[in-house]
Amino acid sequence: MFDIEFNGEFAAFFVFAVLMIAGAVLMVSFTKVVHMVLSMAAVFLGAAGMFVLLEAEFLAFVQVLIYAGAVSILMIFGIMMTNHSDSRAETIKPLKETLAAVGAIALFGLLFYAIRDADFEGLDGGTPAQTTDNTLAIGQALFHNHVLPFELVSVLLTVAFIGAIALAKKEA
Amino acid sequence: MAYSESAWLIPLFPLAAFLLLTAWGRGFRRWAPIVGAAGSLGSLVLSILVMAEGVDYRDRINWIKIDGLSLSLGYEVTHLTSLMLVIVSLVSLLVCVYSAGYMKNDERITVFYGYVSLFVFSMLGLVLSDNMLMLYLFWELVGVCSFLLVGFWYHKPEAKAAAKKAFIVTRIGDAGLLLAVLLLFWYMPNHALDFAGIQNVFHGQSGAVDDGITTLIALLVFMGAVGKSGQFPLHVWLPDAMEGPTPISALIHAATMVAAGVFLIARTFVLFEASPAAMDTVAYVGAFTALFAATIALAQHDVKRILAYSTISQLGYMMLALGVGSMTGAIFHLMTHAFFKALLFLAAGSIIHAAHKQDIRELGGLGSRMRVTSILFGIGALALSGIPPFSGFWSKDAILSAALDHNPVLFVAGLLGALLTSLYMARLYFRVFAGKPSAASEGAHESPAVMLIPMIVLAVLAVVAGFADTPWNEWLSGWLLGGEPSAHDSSSPTVMIVSAAVSLLGLYIGWLAYVKKTIRPASVTEAMPGLSKWLERGYRIDDLFASVIVKPYRMLGTGAKLFDRYVVDGVVRLTAGAASGLGRMTAALQNGQVQTYGIAAVLGLIVIIVVMAGRRFWS
Amino acid sequence: MLASYLTMAAILFCIGLYGALVKRNAVIVLLSIELMLNAVNLNLVAFSKYGVVPSINGQIFALFTITVAAAEAAVGVAVLIALFRARGTIKTDEFDELRR
Repeated sequence: MFDIEFNGEFAAFFVFAVLMIAGAVLMVSFTKVVHMVLSMAAVFLGAAGMFVLLEAEFLAFVQVLIYAGAVSILMIFGIMMTNHSDSRAETIKPLKETLAAVGAIALFGLLFYAIRDADFEGLDGGTPAQTTDNTLAIGQALFHNHVLPFELVSVLLTVAFIGAIALAKKEA
Repeated sequence: MAYSESAWLIPLFPLAAFLLLTAWGRGFRRWAPIVGAAGSLGSLVLSILVMAEGVDYRDRINWIKIDGLSLSLGYEVTHLTSLMLVIVSLVSLLVCVYSAGYMKNDERITVFYGYVSLFVFSMLGLVLSDNMLMLYLFWELVGVCSFLLVGFWYHKPEAKAAAKKAFIVTRIGDAGLLLAVLLLFWYMPNHALDFAGIQNVFHGQSGAVDDGITTLIALLVFMGAVGKSGQFPLHVWLPDAMEGPTPISALIHAATMVAAGVFLIARTFVLFEASPAAMDTVAYVGAFTALFAATIALAQHDVKRILAYSTISQLGYMMLALGVGSMTGAIFHLMTHAFFKALLFLAAGSIIHAAHKQDIRELGGLGSRMRVTSILFGIGALALSGIPPFSGFWSKDAILSAALDHNPVLFVAGLLGALLTSLYMARLYFRVFAGKPSAASEGAHESPAVMLIPMIVLAVLAVVAGFADTPWNEWLSGWLLGGEPSAHDSSSPTVMIVSAAVSLLGLYIGWLAYVKKTIRPASVTEAMPGLSKWLERGYRIDDLFASVIVKPYRMLGTGAKLFDRYVVDGVVRLTAGAASGLGRMTAALQNGQVQTYGIAAVLGLIVIIVVMAGRRFWS
Repeated sequence: MLASYLTMAAILFCIGLYGALVKRNAVIVLLSIELMLNAVNLNLVAFSKYGVVPSINGQIFALFTITVAAAEAAVGVAVLIALFRARGTIKTDEFDELRR
């Protein structure tokens, strides 16, 4: 079903895929919250690796910086600041979990069916024109075609920054 | 000429009185008797003028007109109706005067006079109606008035029950009458319902209407009369109706409304003449009722109930007269009966007013305390018993001789009834007025003049009314038949002698039993305790109805109620339960947790995708 | 290879969805949402290379997504801290304000 030749890219993809799926599954199944965050960091790193495979080096770099670095640390801070009274046993709601699992698996089934059903002939190996310098290409695209969204995102970040401080302040 | 043409005014006087009394209400107490009596007086004066004029007149207006079918409102004055008008308005006037004394201390005297006026209006309207439909309307209206007045003292449970019974039992007869009206409407040429048209179509069997249908219509009309006039087997309401005020018993349940059945048959007499089978039915039912009710009257203890059964019995005589073809005899007896029975009821009211008791076992010796009442009651009793020369003798004689001409069996039944009549009247009279005063009679005193005067008027009429139609002076029958030769042969002297002798025999036995005490009535009771008990309960007809009709009907009702409660309501409750159950289920889904909502959204999304994507497989 | 990347992204997305719907610790719910966003990024970048019209724009979109996700994570954690201060817990099943 996966009609793919066994080359270097595939080997690397396989390794990253195993890393990410394992990290994601562990994230869901761990009981300690800190472990969850750590396994999540593995997923982020795997995603960075995949970005490299997809010839998006700048994005891989950003991924490592922001997700594996900033977001994970932020989450650990969040956990530490909110985890004082976690002594109560987890109440299990089998119906809810079963329904959620059924939903998630059914959604995956649909997506998988759609992916298998789609015709991707002749799409393999096509490379973007600007492969020479990924960072340069991104910079040019960002500051030529997407200046306005870029500026808006900077405003969004500033607002989020101020908002987060305002929310988390003691006398909120 | 002018009086007959304005006959339509006659019922309007009591109607005006009714409206006035209803509008004024309670604050009008002192004027109520005057207004009520004035309404009846107006009617009486005009009625007498109309009757004295003796001109037939008919007029009508169109009421409803649909596609060539027309229903009309109209009035018709004939000799028969003008006589009835006089009887009704006269008796009602006297009852109104009498009630001024009898009902003096009643809280709702205004309402009482309002109802009485409404009744008089309806009764006069019934008499004047020129067609069956209008007659039916007034027929129902008098039924309503009877219901209202029987239940006038509605705080007494017996009165309430009696009012309901009177209404429902007569309703059975009314249904028959309604069917008769509908059949007439269906089969009559041009759908005419007026009495003149009926007269033309059925007179001499023109053949316009099939014989079987004629008999059916006649029997259905008779069914209406049976209900209203208390003939067997629908007589059961009349004794119970005595729960109403006594003047009402005199007016409605003795003189006028119950006679409406007789009047109805007399009015549609041509229908019966066209159908021998219907005539025979009327005659036999009448004769049986006359005899049957008389035996019951013999065992009753309540003054008013005795008189009520006597009324049923006398109405039976009238039916008998109609059945043997003597319409004049029936109307003659109706007239004399109206006078002497109203007199008897008013006198009974006077007794009740004075002694506050109506059980003859507790009464006695009232003769010395209430001399006038006792004499007046005696006159009424003699008239009812058929002792010459009182009015009852002449009218009963007319009926008996007509019966003898027709069928000896009916004659014998009538004669036996006459014997029983004089016997129970003797029993009633002697038990109440003769002997030593009982405890209840001690405090009794004569009634006031306002009550005595109407009774005296009625007593005079009860004596002299019989001379309107004696064998040597057939004024009334000639007048009623409009100058035609008299329908029945002048009664033979034999009949007169026999009937008088029989009545006197009844009186003599009564005198022996209750005054001389040579015969101990108790010995009869002791010999046959079952029979007297049986008679006292009116042959247990009520019990029979209760177990044969009321109980199965009630069971049917209970079954229907259960069906309604468990099946119909069950379906309703199931629907409601399903809705509320669904609501509770979905309310549980609404638990306020975002994740649950998320799951629902994901599942819904999947369903939508499956449906959208799945379409390509089956379309 | 495109199919493999897309399948990979689908797996990650569904695991993230499951976590977001089931986990009781609100921080982990946030984390699961980040996982779903990552799956989307993976798709964007995969199409950027293997799509019908290969283009750098896919990577630009992914960049924006990462930025927005970072902002979202920051605000989310701030909200959770405020919530914890007010209610003493961040268990998702303790909150049913939507019911009222």
